[in-house]
Amino acid sequence: MDNLNQVLLNESQRVGADFKAWKAVADSEGLQLALLEEPENLIEIIRQAGLRGLGGSGFPTYKKWQYMAAQEDATEKYLIVNGNEDEPGTFKDRILLEETPHQVIEGACICALACGINRIIFYINPEQKASLENMRAAVAQWEESELYFSLSKKTGQPVEFEVMATSGHYIGGEETAAIESVEGNFPFPRGKPPFPAESGVHGHPTLINNTETIANVGHIIKHGATWYQDQGLGEATGTKIYCLSGDVLKPGAYELPMGTPLADLIFDHGGGMLVGKQLKAVFTGGPSNTILTPMDLDVPLDFDSVAARRSALGTGAMIVVSEGTGIVKRVTEYVNFFADSSCGQCPPCKTGTYYISRLLSKIDTGRGSQADLDSLYSLCEMLPGTGRCHLLDGAVKVLESSLYHFKEEYEEAIMPATRFGMENFGGTD
Amino acid sequence: MTNGIPFSDALGNYTPQRFREPSNDPTKTRDLLEQFHPDYMPDSMTTLKVGPNQGDVCHKQLADVLQSDARIEEADLAGANTVETDILVVGGGGAGCAAALTAARKGAKVILATKLRLGDSNTVMAEGGIQSSVEKGDTPQMHYDDTVKGGHHYVDKPLAAQMVMDGPDVIRWLIQQGMQFDVDKYGDLLTRRAGGTSAPRVVYYRDYTGLEMMRVLREALTNAGIEVWDYNPTVELLSNDQGHCAGAVVSSLKNCSYTLVKAKAVILATGGIGRMHLNGFPTSNHFGATGDGLVMAYRMGAKLRDLDSFQYHPSGLAYPQHLAGTLITEGVRSAGAYLLNGHGDRFVDELGPRDHVAAAILRECEEGRGVQANETTSGVWLDTPGVELRNPGILKSRFPKLLQLGRKCGTDPAQEPLLIYPTLHYQNGGVVIDGNGCSTVRGLYCIGEVCGGIHGKNRLMGNSLLDIISFGRRAGEHAATEVLGRPHSNVSTEHLSELRRQLTLADMPMENQGPMLFPDYAKFETDSDYDGLHKAK
Repeated sequence: MDNLNQVLLNESQRVGADFKAWKAVADSEGLQLALLEEPENLIEIIRQAGLRGLGGSGFPTYKKWQYMAAQEDATEKYLIVNGNEDEPGTFKDRILLEETPHQVIEGACICALACGINRIIFYINPEQKASLENMRAAVAQWEESELYFSLSKKTGQPVEFEVMATSGHYIGGEETAAIESVEGNFPFPRGKPPFPAESGVHGHPTLINNTETIANVGHIIKHGATWYQDQGLGEATGTKIYCLSGDVLKPGAYELPMGTPLADLIFDHGGGMLVGKQLKAVFTGGPSNTILTPMDLDVPLDFDSVAARRSALGTGAMIVVSEGTGIVKRVTEYVNFFADSSCGQCPPCKTGTYYISRLLSKIDTGRGSQADLDSLYSLCEMLPGTGRCHLLDGAVKVLESSLYHFKEEYEEAIMPATRFGMENFGGTD
Repeated sequence: MTNGIPFSDALGNYTPQRFREPSNDPTKTRDLLEQFHPDYMPDSMTTLKVGPNQGDVCHKQLADVLQSDARIEEADLAGANTVETDILVVGGGGAGCAAALTAARKGAKVILATKLRLGDSNTVMAEGGIQSSVEKGDTPQMHYDDTVKGGHHYVDKPLAAQMVMDGPDVIRWLIQQGMQFDVDKYGDLLTRRAGGTSAPRVVYYRDYTGLEMMRVLREALTNAGIEVWDYNPTVELLSNDQGHCAGAVVSSLKNCSYTLVKAKAVILATGGIGRMHLNGFPTSNHFGATGDGLVMAYRMGAKLRDLDSFQYHPSGLAYPQHLAGTLITEGVRSAGAYLLNGHGDRFVDELGPRDHVAAAILRECEEGRGVQANETTSGVWLDTPGVELRNPGILKSRFPKLLQLGRKCGTDPAQEPLLIYPTLHYQNGGVVIDGNGCSTVRGLYCIGEVCGGIHGKNRLMGNSLLDIISFGRRAGEHAATEVLGRPHSNVSTEHLSELRRQLTLADMPMENQGPMLFPDYAKFETDSDYDGLHKAK
């Protein structure tokens, strides 16, 4: 297990808010090197390294950065470091912000250098009190440091930090909702275009990166693009923090090479299944994504390989469920989560998530009929893409995926007579 | 223990007397407890291996249940009906009712689920009364001092201080609800003295104060429109993704099915552990006192305290056998009844703290001065005829329940003394709470006997009826203000997976399942085909 926690969750990085301790062990070489480089070169290194959006999209990071850097006329540019994680089963940003705040700040500074950004906002879920506190303490120390002055000197304008508690809504993690939130409004997602890189916070170009993505930046600049590529297995690059939870013996956050097979994660690192349990399914990437089955135990956990199995890596959350767990019930819970989280501005999402959730509850509690199941199927076709953001798509994705893999469970659930072993119960006299 | 004085000889030795020499036993409380009190037997204790109290000392029988496997699996919940409410109160005793009532009056939707029926609890068995410093010349400070001293200074002081300050208001509130108290000809509350206290402070109604309290609370509950689910034991709590308490799994004994109750707050008022029969002692507790709340709260991650401390009430009926353990109120001793050994001598200050008196009784029996009723049963006399002799008519007017008990035994307490032996009465420790009854787990409130700290390591008579109302009202009010306007969260049994993980990693056996729900002799295994109550699957 010598490939565990090598980079982001390395012991040397996990010093909490203590700036001196961090500089002593983890140093700030990445930023110091970056200060000597031209901005375009930094973006080029990130491109070569193959860093991708680790918040779930897997979108190449350099593309966003290039677009931002190209906005030369802008008087102000914003970076929002997105730490509003709120999905069940995902807990990586919390660890990064709480235990390694300086690594995140360093990455954000390099990003600011590369794109000419002057305002950095750390956007953090208020439920994670320790993350907020440690980030505030860490930022205060940075603002006193020499590094901070060299940074402003290099960019030619003062760089401002802000640690901001989000409204705590799940939807607030969506890019454009985050912008609304930063502007002080309720986090209603906006329509696109204009894309945030063109017109974001108060109309200024705005870059939104996930905390984990940003945390990697310092390491890439320090060790070089090739090093980063070598961290991954096969075609994949870098490392990934997998959040393992559910019916395994040792759940937790494991930073492993991108492309580590699912079986290694569950059985080597996670200690295997809980006693006497059989693996039934894995909900990947938190519920906004899809299901892997025991057939997929060999899948390398990277964006492309997982996508090839009709699933998605997402945030790297792996919720393991064992035989005996009702898939319909689980999916019902997840869809309820979306129904509760819908901001309500797009009618298809507002009523769609609610309607799916009601149908699922009905089926789960044995009151459903074939017609209800048929409705679910047609909703899966009708709904995707009809909302401004991807919340509705997420709800449909998990439903669709479960319908694909566990169709028989839904069918059993709408035939209560057989489920309770009362096949001969039909007589009326 | 067959070395005592035979029952008939001892009864022959006995005559009611106006006055007997007090005991001049010089043994210090500490020594007496260490030698004879069951809590001080090192063999019966162990340390906990998993959970928030890992490493703490705990009674072996209790540890077995705290570290048992859960009764339910996620598979059991497939197809279970889900009900939503603001607040779920678990337990139908005085504490649960007071909390439910207060919360409902604040505007919260409340469901009260109880294992048996509303009022099937220890509250109705509380005979002595309620401590509250309402007398002239008595103060909350004195009440506080007594409570702290009685609890051997292990009392959570802010909790005790808050409770004694609440005392007079609790009585006022109960009177407003319609509860009766014994009063003098001017309508002033009568008081009597409890063991280990410095002033007469216990207000009471006959010798069934708790029953009268429950009568009032039940009526109020019905009128407040609170949904009461009887025969619905709660078998497990539910957690949300933050690890907060978000509801419970309730098992309906009538429909043989589980219901998931999604609640924004759960108030546990499940009472004590008497029916675990620690160290083989009889118990004064009602049938449902099996420590369910402790187990469920512990699994949710709530911190517990004083798990090695239990109260053995000195005067449990020892004989006849089928009534063993039945409580005889301390009020009888406070009215002047002596405790006499087989020789007819007093051997302890009858109004000392309960643990001291209980240990003294155990000493008499162990050292051969007890009364031997049969091969397995011994005890000491409770000198009821002596009380009657000094105050003719007092038994009839003040202790009707005692006379009723006498009729069940086939004796007349006014003529013949009763044979008594300590009975497992109260769990001193329990869930750690704050002044509003909040446990260390958000969304989980614990009130009444299930929580610990208020009484330290020994409870005084009458403080329990006070604590259930004082903390019950506070918890109900706090929970109601907390939850109103808050949405429901998702529920899961993730904390049970965590429990199984910890048990596996600590190499613990997983054969036993908890919570107990019913004592073994309930024989549900053979009488019922209901899966929800099966211990082994």
